[in-house]
Amino acid sequence: MNYIDLPLQELHEALVAKKVTPLELTEEALKRAHADQNNAFEYLDDEGAIAFAKTLTEPEKDNPLWGIPYFAKDNFSTKGIPTTASSNILVGYVPVFDATVISKLKAAKAVMIGKTTLDELAMGGTGTTGHLGKTFNPYDPKHERMIGGSSCGSAAAVSASIVPFALGSDTGDSVRKPASYAGLIGMKPTWGRISRYGLFPFAPSLDHVGYFSRDVYTSAVLLDVLAGRDPHDSTSSMKEVEHYEADLKKPVKGLKIAVLKMVTDSIKDEEIKKHFYASLEGLKKEGVEVDFVEFGKDLLESLYATYIVISCAEATSNDANLDGIKFGPYKGGKTYQEVMYNARTAGFSELIKRRFVIGSYCLMRENQEELFLRAQRNRAKIVERTNEILKDHDFILALAAPSIAPLFAQASDKLSDEYLIADNHLCLGNFAGLPSITLPLGYKSGMPYGVNFMGRAFEEKKLFQISQAFETLTGLAETSALAPKEAKL
Amino acid sequence: MDVLKDAANRLLFDMSDEQYKTLYEEFGILTKQMEKIGEIKGLESYAPMTFPFDCSTTYLREDVAEEPLPRDVALKNAGNKQDGQIKLPKVVL
Repeated sequence: MNYIDLPLQELHEALVAKKVTPLELTEEALKRAHADQNNAFEYLDDEGAIAFAKTLTEPEKDNPLWGIPYFAKDNFSTKGIPTTASSNILVGYVPVFDATVISKLKAAKAVMIGKTTLDELAMGGTGTTGHLGKTFNPYDPKHERMIGGSSCGSAAAVSASIVPFALGSDTGDSVRKPASYAGLIGMKPTWGRISRYGLFPFAPSLDHVGYFSRDVYTSAVLLDVLAGRDPHDSTSSMKEVEHYEADLKKPVKGLKIAVLKMVTDSIKDEEIKKHFYASLEGLKKEGVEVDFVEFGKDLLESLYATYIVISCAEATSNDANLDGIKFGPYKGGKTYQEVMYNARTAGFSELIKRRFVIGSYCLMRENQEELFLRAQRNRAKIVERTNEILKDHDFILALAAPSIAPLFAQASDKLSDEYLIADNHLCLGNFAGLPSITLPLGYKSGMPYGVNFMGRAFEEKKLFQISQAFETLTGLAETSALAPKEAKL
Repeated sequence: MDVLKDAANRLLFDMSDEQYKTLYEEFGILTKQMEKIGEIKGLESYAPMTFPFDCSTTYLREDVAEEPLPRDVALKNAGNKQDGQIKLPKVVL
């Protein structure tokens, strides 16, 4: 047991009492990161992290992030630190500015240890498509099971107890799904709550900054620091930032939860389902009202196609600047078209190219009405239905994924003609821009699985309140692959 | 298949025959699913949604003088530079 394994609150107390220093924590995080066996990192900033930690000598009692080491997904701009988005087309790129979330964490004197792997350009959900290869799940030393993606390295870093928290991004479920596979809290607040300035765009109408932690308290404290209006991001909200951990201990009696019936029914794993039902009973005992609701079969089955069309269309347009001229290595060519053609052919992996073609095809004038605009209309209908449910309920609850982390051998990034509702429902939170959090529920064969709560827009405080109650029920705060716990339920 | 190859070339990259085959299969699935979405009742009455909700952020920023990016920083990512400028390969024939 090292100080870095302590819950954030205790770690902060130890720092304030000078039992441990930011430098010692940074050195421990770096030591663990260098010994990592999960391919979680793109870059370790030994020099920068140690230099910054050395400047932190006077503890700040009221700043819970003071001297805390963390990792950022490698699609956040970090001044002077290589940033690749795990794509060959960005190898060698060194940003000249910090993303707003990086600046905010720096101002809070958290210590960035380095950058983590992702599915290339954050497009993918398997943690297998980054240019450094597969990222592994720390809960599976045999390296047969994925950790999910796209924020695979950040999930692995927190799950392996290398740092207490890590930044990710979430366009479909890229924080909240890996959180389920890695036994973590995965939070994505309301669209516009956290500035995206400096986050490499994938699909801006769906992109969110998110993050991983090992307890709900840390998740709430992080939002205090990361939320807020940013003049650099015109989509960031002017709404006032709240004190998000204020209601963590408030009783949950009277809160109302809608459980998505069809999502639960579609899950084949009876053991996980049974455990999920037991957790509902636990919530009822706390005075929470639980209703099973129908979302609509047509709409749930339409989620993935709608997501693919919208996200690919936005991505193909956003990533047009990765052309070997403005960004990306020069691969030769006699004309500028040839320069771009050679750079893009060599720079993107197969999955990215397929996604770009799909997006471009959907945007072609002759296909726009039946593909792109139809998907956007359907998104409106999906969002309307989601908000309708949330009129009568405080939260929507479902298992975050239908199973424990799948085996790599079963993973596929190809489109499937099966409607995998329980695998895709988390994108509801992106379509509607609602705050959504994944929490650990239990373990099967030593591998974690979790649930997901989604709340009304800008009601993060209440979302943390129910999350804290759920965490108390399961007793699964502060779990890691180093120290797995037994679920209380 | 030719449409897909044309789309890829317009995006300025190429793929292998095997990759085009996978893409072709994916398109079959996607088209079928999108056709089914087209059958959802009343869908045409919905306006295409471009953002999750309206966020009005119109404002006039303060007129504050800022330092521009220093030249040496701006040139940091350039593969080839000369006399304080980015040197590009000749691509106009």
